[in-house]
Formats: sequence, structure tokens, C-alpha cells
Amino acid sequence: MKLMAIRRWYAAALVLLAVPAALAAQQPTGTVSGSVVEAGTGRPLAGAQVSIPATRQGALVGADGKFLIPRVTIGNATVRAQMIGYEPVNKTVTVMADGVVEVSFELKRTAIALSSVVVTATGEERTREIGTAVSTIGPASIANAPVVNVQQILTGRTTGATVIANSGQPGAGGTIRLRGINSISQGNSPLIYVDGVRMYNGSTGTSVIGRQNVLPLNDIDASQIDHVEVIKGPAATTLYGTEASGGVIQIFTKRGMAGRPQYHFEIGQGFNFMGHVGPKSDPTGLFMNDCAGIHTNGVGTTFEDPSCPASGTWLRDGPVQRYAADVRGGSADQSYYLGANYNEQKGVLQMGGNRDGTLRGNFSFRPATGLEFGLSSQFTGRHVDWVADGNSANGALINISRGANSNFTSGVGCDPSVNVCLDNGELFDATSFTRESHFITGLTTKYDAEGPLSAHLNIGYDYLDMKLESMYPFGFSRQPLGQIWVTPRNRTLVTTDFAANWKQPFGDEWNTTTSVGGQMFDSRVEDQDLESDFFAGPGQPILTSGAQRLINDATNQRVINAGFFVQEVVGWRDRLFLTGAVRVDGNSAFGSSFGLQTYPKLSGSYVMSDESWWHVPHIETFKLRAAMGESGKAPGAFDAVRTWDPVAAQNGQPAFTPSQVGNPDLGPERTRETEGGFDMSALDGRLGVSATYYQQHTFDALIPVEQPPSNGFTNRQLENVGRLNNTGAELSLDGELLSLRNVTWSGHLNYTWNKSEAGDLGGQTITIEDLSRTYVKQGYPVPSYFGLQVTNPDALAAPTIINDGYLGATYPDRIISPSTTLRLWNAVELNAIGEWQLGGHLLNAVGYQNARYNIWQPCYTAQDAMRAGDVSSITALQQMKCTITSSQRDYAYWVEPSDFFKLRSVTITYDIPAKYARGMHNASISLAGQNLWTSTRYTGTDPEVADIRTSSFSRRDYYVFPTFRTFTATLRFGF
Amino acid sequence: MKYANILSAALVVAALSACDLKVTNPGPLQDDQLDTPGAMPGLVNGMSGDLSQAIGNFLVDNSVMTDELKHSGNYAGPNEYAVGIIRPEDVDGDYSNMQQARWVAEDGLRRMQRVLGAGFETNTDTPRAYLYAGFANRLLGENSCQAVIDGGPAESDSVYFQRAESLFTRANTLATALGQTDVATAALGGRASVRADLGNWSGAVTDAALVPDNFEYDAIFSTNTSRENNDLAYETHQRREVSVYGTQWAATDADPRTPWDTVFTGSGSVQKGQDGATPFFRQEKYVSLGDNVPLTKGAEMLLLRAEDALRNSSIPNMTTFINQSRAVYGMAAVAQPANTADAWTLLQHERGAVVWLEARRLWDLRRWYAEGTNTFLNGRDKCVPFGSSELGSNPHLH
Repeated sequence: MKLMAIRRWYAAALVLLAVPAALAAQQPTGTVSGSVVEAGTGRPLAGAQVSIPATRQGALVGADGKFLIPRVTIGNATVRAQMIGYEPVNKTVTVMADGVVEVSFELKRTAIALSSVVVTATGEERTREIGTAVSTIGPASIANAPVVNVQQILTGRTTGATVIANSGQPGAGGTIRLRGINSISQGNSPLIYVDGVRMYNGSTGTSVIGRQNVLPLNDIDASQIDHVEVIKGPAATTLYGTEASGGVIQIFTKRGMAGRPQYHFEIGQGFNFMGHVGPKSDPTGLFMNDCAGIHTNGVGTTFEDPSCPASGTWLRDGPVQRYAADVRGGSADQSYYLGANYNEQKGVLQMGGNRDGTLRGNFSFRPATGLEFGLSSQFTGRHVDWVADGNSANGALINISRGANSNFTSGVGCDPSVNVCLDNGELFDATSFTRESHFITGLTTKYDAEGPLSAHLNIGYDYLDMKLESMYPFGFSRQPLGQIWVTPRNRTLVTTDFAANWKQPFGDEWNTTTSVGGQMFDSRVEDQDLESDFFAGPGQPILTSGAQRLINDATNQRVINAGFFVQEVVGWRDRLFLTGAVRVDGNSAFGSSFGLQTYPKLSGSYVMSDESWWHVPHIETFKLRAAMGESGKAPGAFDAVRTWDPVAAQNGQPAFTPSQVGNPDLGPERTRETEGGFDMSALDGRLGVSATYYQQHTFDALIPVEQPPSNGFTNRQLENVGRLNNTGAELSLDGELLSLRNVTWSGHLNYTWNKSEAGDLGGQTITIEDLSRTYVKQGYPVPSYFGLQVTNPDALAAPTIINDGYLGATYPDRIISPSTTLRLWNAVELNAIGEWQLGGHLLNAVGYQNARYNIWQPCYTAQDAMRAGDVSSITALQQMKCTITSSQRDYAYWVEPSDFFKLRSVTITYDIPAKYARGMHNASISLAGQNLWTSTRYTGTDPEVADIRTSSFSRRDYYVFPTFRTFTATLRFGF
Repeated sequence: MKYANILSAALVVAALSACDLKVTNPGPLQDDQLDTPGAMPGLVNGMSGDLSQAIGNFLVDNSVMTDELKHSGNYAGPNEYAVGIIRPEDVDGDYSNMQQARWVAEDGLRRMQRVLGAGFETNTDTPRAYLYAGFANRLLGENSCQAVIDGGPAESDSVYFQRAESLFTRANTLATALGQTDVATAALGGRASVRADLGNWSGAVTDAALVPDNFEYDAIFSTNTSRENNDLAYETHQRREVSVYGTQWAATDADPRTPWDTVFTGSGSVQKGQDGATPFFRQEKYVSLGDNVPLTKGAEMLLLRAEDALRNSSIPNMTTFINQSRAVYGMAAVAQPANTADAWTLLQHERGAVVWLEARRLWDLRRWYAEGTNTFLNGRDKCVPFGSSELGSNPHLH
């Protein structure tokens, strides 16, 4: 895209937006003010929106429940108060010139609010018009929760989302999937939009020795988030085009509001606590909990680690601190929100931790009725110190848990003639960090006055600059001359997004909304993977410190995706809506023989409860919806062309080697989804039900097809040959269980079921990672574990083994998240969220490796029996898992169900009475615990963890440090 | 404003039409960019690099498939090779590297002919390209159970040797014409070995006799980049994956052809391998990640001549050639064996020592097993099968 073209587009769009606004006449005005509280409890509803729909004027409700809308045109006006989770209320007032009219609202809780709006690719749409499921996580779910980032907000709070933690290292990002896996090769991360600006959602690079990465999504601090919308599946994301088949997460940060400045502060203190590590039958907790003194492994080898801390454990309680402050205010024609926060937490080992801070400024300017300019900007700085972990030869768990077989065997201070003398303390001399600077800014122009035309234009810029560094110092026994890796990574993503809507009524019963729009994304990636080895001496090394300096890799890529859409919504009596749309995309990564790609969409929504014949007892709101739509995923920048890699050979001489065989017909994979469901409110708003059933078919799936090595190219080539299927259901139940004057008790249950299946794969098995025994095979979940399988696992008999057995799906297929809120005396609130993840599996490589080193306590009995030659009391599976015969060992036997229940968080919040908080409009204190309890039959350290450096698609628990508990106390107050 | 939606649509379409989706991404080279004479040196260097990578990555695996080293590590593939099991899925990486080395050299020669035209045979890089193509074919021939060329059907493994012989002949001819003595001699050495592999011992001896005793031509490794590293050096000097412990080479630590030492822990006990059990005797033939691996050398030529002598029942001549070979390393002469069986034992040990850890042993053990003079491969897989990726993607093999 030429820069001039963007400028021309933007200028023309501005003219289009500004002209009608400038025509608005100046008239005498008055002021509307008042309060918004929760019906029944009288609790102020901070963050609720109050607006005058006719003029699009509005304000946010403050923490004291008050609002103020100045400069309202005189005469009768309809004032609307709304908030996510509450039924909107309209009231009519008469505004006098220079007068103030007071109006009070009591909003009633409801799970299904059809009048609320969600933001789609065309702009704001009312929930009742939308034919797909959209989950919204509102301010009430976030306000007092012990969450600091989006990953934690999503965990357990929405249907259709699978969130897996990956690691217990502070700062490590998790894996997030919406509605399962619909791509084998192109990633499944959802698109991320922040205030209308798309944010980079790809890989950030894993630490060389920490073997985890950070998640850019988590750079949006929870304290600055107003609400999150989760748009799941291609039927809903069609208009987002190529790259959107993994769903879309939209984050809306807090905005300013009319009125005097309101300040809010948050101070949190706490600690991270590990508890017992590994199998409960191992009293030492894999020697992490207890490293003092002399220990013995399963074959009687004794060992001692003089470097074990004086506390007798490698673990500690890692301090946690968190500070946040913001201010917001404004007037009728301008508003601002300024926020800042700082988070710091230490891990539960001697080192490792995360520090991050964010500055945010959101500004809105409304020069004329219906016209609004917005500027949202944030800067996040993050520094994560990693502990060597996972499949790192110098990692913490890999060495400490192996006892006498640690790689650090040069300990002093014990008698080596009696015991193996260890020095695991040295592993903490290795350092590793990820440092990032993340700047996101977006200029939005929105026009939505009283009239048929509305439009928006967003120009966004996302800049992520990172540095990853890992280092073994000079004198490190495992690398005596030292070694350093430095990886600068830079990502930029420019968003240009325009949409215009024209609403046209036809008589009293029919209306249409015609939408057109387009988007362009310009994504650039620049990486270098640098290494320097063999330092001359001690000191803090840099890349030039080593005698050997290597450029291991360098990437410099640019991908442009541009597309436009047309959508037509036809409404009948404001209860039946039919939507048809088409999106057309081009992408620079498509093959030379491949043209534009077209994605259609069709959906319908029918609010049956608005019909006069609707008399279903106790069900006051019922909306039926159905949709079919397509979206896609583009191939990578070089996937379509035959390429050779420049390499060095013949002792540093320039050379080439085959890279990609190329495919000029390469296009995007397309996912078509059909979904149907209903949203229902019953029992006078006390019960909300939302249910969705969907089927997804990814066709022309980009499959990495093996090439005959005898043809020279050993890398797999992407071809549009595969088909993947997902079938699923989502159920959300929201119930007010008890509502008394001083006691309210509500419960919420999210149920997600997703059955993934590989359809036609062109007759081949896709190897994701051999060592993880992870493959994609036709007819099985994507991906799954396959390998040697004991078919009589529980029999007290000789094992019967098949070679290529199906061992289970990698990812869970059922997620059940119950949560509850109990509020007492309108002052004390107790929240709890739990989560079951069922149906997944995980390769317990810790068990596999430690069993072969005779130091896996759960195998001691079996191994003793096998050494004695009597396996009569040992099950067939245990015989293979714990085998003492080298040639019988295999990772496949250690693929285990990873089903678990975790009590994700429990929070108790006390709203400090006003008499103790004079001058403040609110004050509260919260005590919270996270990851408090885990129930699982998985025998490794944690069913959620995986070493993601080798592959982020397969999952292998290879000495990955488990997740820990966090306890925090938080004081919040505002004035 | 009634036409605003039309205007909007026109605006978007106009903006999209102004988009130029083409981007220029630096980094990988597109195939047609190599069709220039200036790219030929890089192309031939690439043949060298791919051959070195194929050999370097195979050294560890070959050593435990044979009697060269004992497995002392925890990698899955070598764990199976050590007990004589060579599965297509385990060996796929090695197989693919070998095939890529062959294809890159042979396809590169075709590209050089196309690009250089009449200047092809006089180009200074051309003999070296033929040489790499020859050694890549020999590597496949000496290790593979069957041959497949460019996605074609399965053929006898001798196809690789036949191609190698032809390629070495061309390398020798062109190098001689250009005065490239080292390449010409290396081609003779390579041809001698494949002629022996094909059973043409008289031809082998003729070529071998033309190679000076001290001659050596190497596959090049370097510390310059990790891709150029000697993997066996890494796996034994930075890890402890394979050990000399328990092999015939551990019987003496005084043979300069098979150098090794014992690694001790800080407390003075013998260090264990990566498996935590096997005493770690570390090979010292390749100490640095940049140590080269011989492709052909005069000492091996003498042993080809020694083997030919033994095959012609001349134990004295065999002994003479063996002692000439030992002299290359400054080693004392050995006594003449008393009988044929002892002579084979001596010859096999001597040849094993000379080509130790050069990815040559599997073929020697395989042909000697077939002839009944060596039993090491009894009950073990004797060659590298087609890799799983070839089996899964080559329609001729389904």
C-alpha cells in the first residue's frame, strides 16, 4: 500500500465524517444529572453508561453512582442508563435552557440484555440484531477480581475459550484458543483488538534457557480494562477477514466521562507460594521442598547437596506487589482517562520474577453532535527474569529432581567417597530475561448522530520491541568460558479500518442497515538470533565479549493484508433480523497464481419473546439466532515461493541450501462455521441461559505436506489439501440464587464442549513433534498423542503392546467453569471461580526421565519388584512406565489424562463504610487467593504446563516448573 | 447524503485498488535468483555444506549402529540404534540429510551446465561439484538398504555406487585438466572406495595406488556457525551421549587413530554418560566443533590394497600394506597373522581404526557380515532404510 493512498483515504473519510456534523446547528442547552444504582441493593453502579441516544451525548457513572451530561439540547429527551449485566432503562426528561434536570435510575440485573450493544467490524450493533454468540466480560467481573492481565480475565469467565497456563514462572504467557483448533500450520491465536486497533498476536520468542515466552495480550493491564468482548468462530468473525478464523478478542479500556476528575488508587501486596511439588508420595517434593541432608534414590545411591539453602528447601515465598492509579473526567465535548500501574512479583525459586508497568491515556473530543475523535495510547514496559527451566540441561527442575543424576556434580562440602556431592546452587548463576517495550496508539474518528449515517475510521499503530537474553557466566562449570544469546525482536502492525453504515426505514415495520468498510493491516517482523561464546574472563558480558560470535538466524518480513466488506441487515419490527455480508481479501503471502479471497456470511436473529403470541411462563426474553460464515488464515510470507536459504559452508564461505519447495497456487485456508443457539432470560431476570451449538469445517487447510527428500527439499511444503472439523456446544447459566435485603447470592456456570477432528489430510500423518509423540491423523482430535500403547494397562500380567495406538487428545474437549458471588450486608462480597478442564492429555516426561534414573518415587515399588524378578503385583502399564530395561522405555507410556479441577480464585472484598473513608467516594479491601487447590490424576507436577520452546502446538511436560498459589491483599479507594 | 453508502463503498474499493500487496522480503533467495554465474561458487559451497551436515549429523548415529562407540546418552534414536534397531521414523533426519546432499550436488551440476553453458567444464568450481556429488552418493550407498533417485522407484543400493563412480571419474578428469591436484586425487580415492564397494577390487587397487599415503581430503566443519559444527564433537565434548567405554577401541589408549580419554568428576570418580550409568570415555578424534571429517585418505587406500591382498590370499602383502598404513600415523609395525581368520580380524580392526568415526563402518560390517568374516551385525539391522518422509511422500514406494 502506498502511503499516499492511505492519506487520500483518510482525508476523504474525514470529510465524509465531518461534513454532516458541521451542519449541526448550535442551540440553547441544559444539563442532565443524577444517579444510577443497582435495583434491590442500592449499590452505586460505577462504570454504567448514561446517554441521550438521539444526540449520542453521554457520560460514565462515577464510583459514587453520580453522572452529569451538560449541554443537552432543550426540550424533551430520552435518557438511557445501561451497564453490562443489567437491563437498560430509559427515562424521559424535559431539559430547560441553562437548567439542571435530575433523573435517577435503578438497574435490574439480567443475564440477557438485548438492548446492549457490542462492537463488530461494522461498528456498534445491538445484541438483539446479532445472529452469533458474543461473550462479554463486564466491569463487575473484573473490578474486585485478583486479575492483572487479560489471560487471567479470560480464565473461567467465558464459554468457548480454552486458557492453559503453560508454566509457573511469573510473566510466562499461556495458550489461548477460541472454539478449539482450526489450523494445523498457521496458529490458532485469536486476533486481538484494543480500542479498535489490532495488536500483534503472534509468537514473541521463547527464552533459550527459560523456554517460555510472554504474551503481548497481557500487556493490557486489567486495572485499565473496562470490558472484554469475545467473538468466537468464523460465523462471527467473517468481516474481520483472512487471519480471523481463530476468533477475535476485543478489549475496551476505560474512558473518560463528564464531570470533575475522579481518582482511583489500588495497592496490592501479597506473596506467591508453591506448596508441594510433584507426586504426593514423594515426601521431598522432587527435592524442591526438601533438599537438606543426605537423600537416597531408588537403587540406593546416596547424594547430598551442600549448596541447598539453609532453609532446607529450594523454594521461597515470592513477594507480590501491585500499584495502580487512574484519573478520569471531562466535559460534554471532551473527556480523558489517564492510568498508570506497576506490578512486580517474584517467583518461588531463588530467582525469577516479572516487573511491568503501563501508562495509558485515552482522550475523546466531540467537536459537534455525533462526531467524536478519540486518541488512545499506552506504553508498557516489562522485564521477566527466567529461571532455567524445561528441557534446558542446566534447568532447575531437571537437575534438582534427578538427585544424584544432576548435571551439577562438582559440589564441595560433603564426602564424595560416600555420597554423590552436588552443586545445584550453581544453576542459579545462569541468567535469562525478556525485556519488552510495547506501544499501542490509535486514532479513532466516529460519526453517529441522529440520522441514517454512522461511520468510523481507525488508524492504529502497534509497536512491540523486545530483547531476549540468556547467559552462562564465565566460570560456569557446565560452560566454563561462558555463553550468551541475545535475540532482538521487533514487531509493528499498522491498522487502517473504515466502516460506514446507512440505516433506512421502510414503513413502520421494516428497516435496513447497509454497511461497507475496509481494513488494511501492514505487519512487519524483524528478528535476530545472536550468540557469543567463550569469554576472556569474568564480568558482565555483551555480544562482543566472546571469542566466537554467531548470527544464528535473522528474519525480516512484511505481510500486507487488505480487504473490504459489504453487509446488509434487514430488520422486521425490531425483532427479526437477517444479515448477509461478504468480505473480499488480498494478502501478500498468497501464491502468485492466487487472486482475491471471498468470505460470505449469513445470519439471523429472532427475538421471539417480543411477539404478541409469546406467553411462555416465566420466560420473559427469548432470542433465537443462527449464522453461517467463513473466515480464513493466510499462509506465511515465504510459503508460496521456492526458496533457498543463505548459509555458511566450507568454513565460513557463502553458500545456499534448499529451503522451501514452493507452491504458486497457495491460498488461505478457509473455515466455514454454522452455529445456532438462543439467549433466554427467565424468572424475572433471575435466570439467564445462553446456549450455542456450532459446526466448523476448515477446508483447503494449509497442511505441511512431506516432500520426498530424494527431491532435495526436506522441509514440508504447505498445500491447501486438508480438512479439519470442530463440533461444539457452549452453555452459559447465570442465576440469582438468593436475593434478600442483606444477602444476595448468584451463581454462574460456563460449559464448553468442543470435539475436534482431522478430516481428510491427503492421506498422510502430520508430525507435530516426534519427541512429544504428537501427530495429526485423520479421524482423531487435532493434535493427538500416538505411539506405543499398553492395551491391558490395569492387568497384573505381561503387557500387551501395540505400536501406533491412539493415546489421547492433546487439548481438553470439555471446560466447566462454575463461579459464585455472595454479597452480605451490601458491604462484603465473596467471589469464587473454579474450572474443570477435561479430555486432554499430557506427556509426563518428568516421570519418564526420572523413572529411568531410578528417582521417580511412584516407580520405586514397581522397579524393586522388577529387579527382584517378580512382577506379579505390578500392572502391565506400570511395568512399561517403570521398566528397568533400557530398550523398553518410551515416552508414549507416559502420556496421561490431564483432567483437572482448579480453584482458580477466591476473593473476599469488604467495602469500607463511608464514615471510615471520609473524603472518598469509595474504599474497599480485598483478600484473594489464586490457584488455591488442584485436583488431578495426572502424575506429573502440573497438568497445565508445557515446554513450548520446541513447539507451541504439541505439549510436553519436560521438567517445566508448575504453577503456584498467589495470595494478595488489595486496598482500593477513590475520590 | 443519500449516496453516502455508495460513496463509502467507492472509497473503500478505490483504496483497495490502490494497494500494492507485493512486498519484498529480504532473506531467503528465490530459486531463479540462483541462475546466474555469480551464484555458482555459493551453490558449490552449499554442496559442500550439505554433505558435511549429512555426515556430521550421522556420525553419532552411525557410531552406535556399529561397534565404534557405546551409547551413553538419552536421545531416543541412538537408544534404538544401540540395540540394533534402525527404524524409518528414527533415522529420517539422517536419511533426509544424505538425500539432500546428493540432490543438491546433482541438481546443482544441472543448473551449472544450464547457466554456464560452454564454460561449464572449465569452470574452477565444476570438479568440486562432481566430487561432492560422488561422495554424497557414496555416503548413501554405504549406508542405505536401497536406493531411490529424485522421487523415483526403489532400486538396488548399488545404484548409488554406480553413480558415484561416474561422478568421481568426471571430477578426476576435469580437475586434472584444470590442474586441481587435490580434487583429482580425492576423486581417485573416492572412486577406489566405490569400486571396492561394487566388488571391482582390481579397479579399486589401481586407483588406490595413485593416492599418496599422506593424502587426506576432508568434509569441512567449522565453528563459524552452528550448522557447520561437527555434531559428534558437540555430543561428546559438550554432552556425554556416546562413549568409547566397552568397545574394542577402549582396549588401548595409545592408538593415535582412535584417541580417547577418561572423564572424571570433580570428586575424582569416572564421569557417567548422559544416561547416568555408562562410564564416559570421551573420543578425542574430534575435539572442536570445527574439526573436519576425512572423506578419503591415503591410509585408507593402503587398507583397500591390504584387503585386496587378503582377498587374493596374500597375507604377507596384506601385512605390508597394513604396516605402511600404520606408518602414516607413526605406529609400530604389526606381525604377520598366522592364518586367514586372524588376518581378517587384524584387517577389520585396522580398517576400523583408520576410518573410525567417519560414517564408514556400517558398510564395512555389512559386507563383511555378508561374506561371513564378521558377526557384529548378527541379529541387528544392517543398513539405513528409507526415511519415514520418503516412505510417506514418494508415490513409487507406496
